[in-house]
Amino acid sequence: MQITVTQIEKHYATVQAVRGVSFQIQPGEIFALLGPNGAGKSSIIRMLVGMTRPDAGHILVQHDGGEFDHVPRRYLGYLPEDRGLYADKSVEKNLRFLAQLHGLSAAETEQQLTHWLNVFELTDRRKEDLKQLSKGNQQKVQLIAAVIHRPALVILDEPFSGLDPLNQEKVVQFLQQLRADGMTVILSAHQMAMVEKLADHMLLMAKGQAVLAGTLAQIRSQAQPQPEVVIETEQPISSEQLDRWLAGYSWLLQTPQRLLVRLNETQQLSACLQQLLPYCALKNISMQNPDLHQLYLNAMTQHQQQEQAV
Amino acid sequence: MISRQSLVVAKWEFLRFFKWKQQLISYLLMLGVMGAIFAWSYFVDEGRQQYRIAVPAGFSLESSAQFQFQQPTVSLEEQLRQLQQDETWHAVLEPGDEQVLIHTKAGKKWQQQLQSVLLEHYRQQYAAAQGWSAEQLAALQQPVSLEMRYLDDNYKGKDRPEKLIALAVLFMLLMGLTTAFGQLLMSITGEKQHRVTEQLFAIVTPQQWIDGKVLGHSLSALKAMFTTTLMMLLGFLVAVLVFANKPLQLDWLNLGVLAWLLPFALLGVVLCATFMAAIAASIDDPNTSGKGAVMMITWLPLLFTYLVIDSPTGWAMTLLSWLPLTSFAAMPVRMALVELPWWQPLLSLMLLLATLYWLRRVAGRIFLRGMQMYGKEPSWGDIMRWALSNKAD
Repeated sequence: MQITVTQIEKHYATVQAVRGVSFQIQPGEIFALLGPNGAGKSSIIRMLVGMTRPDAGHILVQHDGGEFDHVPRRYLGYLPEDRGLYADKSVEKNLRFLAQLHGLSAAETEQQLTHWLNVFELTDRRKEDLKQLSKGNQQKVQLIAAVIHRPALVILDEPFSGLDPLNQEKVVQFLQQLRADGMTVILSAHQMAMVEKLADHMLLMAKGQAVLAGTLAQIRSQAQPQPEVVIETEQPISSEQLDRWLAGYSWLLQTPQRLLVRLNETQQLSACLQQLLPYCALKNISMQNPDLHQLYLNAMTQHQQQEQAV
Repeated sequence: MISRQSLVVAKWEFLRFFKWKQQLISYLLMLGVMGAIFAWSYFVDEGRQQYRIAVPAGFSLESSAQFQFQQPTVSLEEQLRQLQQDETWHAVLEPGDEQVLIHTKAGKKWQQQLQSVLLEHYRQQYAAAQGWSAEQLAALQQPVSLEMRYLDDNYKGKDRPEKLIALAVLFMLLMGLTTAFGQLLMSITGEKQHRVTEQLFAIVTPQQWIDGKVLGHSLSALKAMFTTTLMMLLGFLVAVLVFANKPLQLDWLNLGVLAWLLPFALLGVVLCATFMAAIAASIDDPNTSGKGAVMMITWLPLLFTYLVIDSPTGWAMTLLSWLPLTSFAAMPVRMALVELPWWQPLLSLMLLLATLYWLRRVAGRIFLRGMQMYGKEPSWGDIMRWALSNKAD
């Protein structure tokens, strides 16, 4: 399933939730929507699901030779941000009901139920009422509900919320399995470490706007256009020495034996080292690779500064 | 047409509230309560006891199973002392010139029956004293027979068995609507509060969802009506065959009227359930919303019809039987009491069906739009606008 979103906008009363956002999702990939609360992620998801329509711009969903303005229900698996199931019914009854609604036969339902309950280690709890399960286990049942019919596209709004680190890891494996099975996955999340492991493409949003988009490498190069290198020396050095040795470079002496240099491009590293080596012995050299969490924070800070400047 | 998904929702909703064990227990409890009431009334029935009444010499009324009239040889003062101190007498009669005094310890229900018996006895004595025959006395007691004769051939009459059926149908509808009211309010607002709604939206359309809800809860209402009817019929059979020891006669049952009652009752329940679903779909939080009470509007047709049940040919009943929102209650009652041409109930039924179709579309729109407002409850203005809008969803 391929999704092309072009310049969509959405207003709610006095709030402009989404402002001219565009992106594309390729078949079989995991696409992550990132951003703080109120960034517009859930609004985009609700438009993709067809619950609301864009006020401007358009959504094009292409699958099986058909074109649609939102994801048709028959291809969709959905874990909403605002979620819940029938708490006074058993795990099995809840999932059977949803499977029946999706049109699964009794045999197919049983097969999927057995498989997914096993994956999430809930087999021996299938007869228990949902309200008897922990929040984490209820979340797992919700995830099963989203995929029990093996949809072409799964949209998961905050799939990691309410889960402990072990179960978060389980969900990462679950999502990787969905991708391996050929499903396209859209997820919104705050857990950057998880998203970094999973997402093929991502879109960082703030106040309804796209801030950064692309693969992790592309985002890294957008968020941090100048690569940084950390150099550790054998002997202590001073700022005065560095003024002479590294003329023309932007640097920061973090400790007397630890120096951070900002390069215009990675290829500049060898010239920089050649300039430094005649004066001091080097102990360690490492390129700075900020994780997604840091990139996200940088991007959000930059966005806020730009907004304030405007 | 009802989709497959709507049927799945309907089955789920019906079974969600159908707890057969609890239902059986409640029926057994009901039977137990009825049995206790019967046993209590049997044991406290004063009519089954025999009462000893002291009467003056010359009193000619013969004793019955309930009253034993005895003429004591002791004085009136002694009789009154006995009445006061022991159980010799239950009452002592003291005849005077113009009146008869009945002395007794305290007021009891059987004394009313004693008064009736004595009144009849003294009336006959008075007639005998006047030289009247028994026939003359009977004629005096009921001088003329009054009978109503109606010139309108279509009017079947006031107190016909069909009226009983019509009243029973109104009662059953009330039972059904009460069931649907509670369940629909709990089911729809509960789903919103448990946040199931958005998940379901990704699987079924708002129209399929609302159709399923209405169908499921209409079935629950019909089940409640059916089981109550069954219980009442059982009670009737037990009363006739066991207690009254009479043969069962059902020739008063008008099957033609019954055949019309069923589609009206069925569509009426579905119409009211759809209205209730539409209102419930607009409620965000039942604890703070005042809209829940509006769902009780569906009881008004029953009340309006009941108020004019004794004037089935009047303009009010005619109007109610044609208005699609009230016809489900009024037309069956009117049909039971007035002979109508076949096309009238048929046309009324068609109007009801068309209104039902329109209302289910409105309910679907309200559900969708209400959900899109995310936690904000729509105003009555919003609801009216959605109801009158023809926009496809």
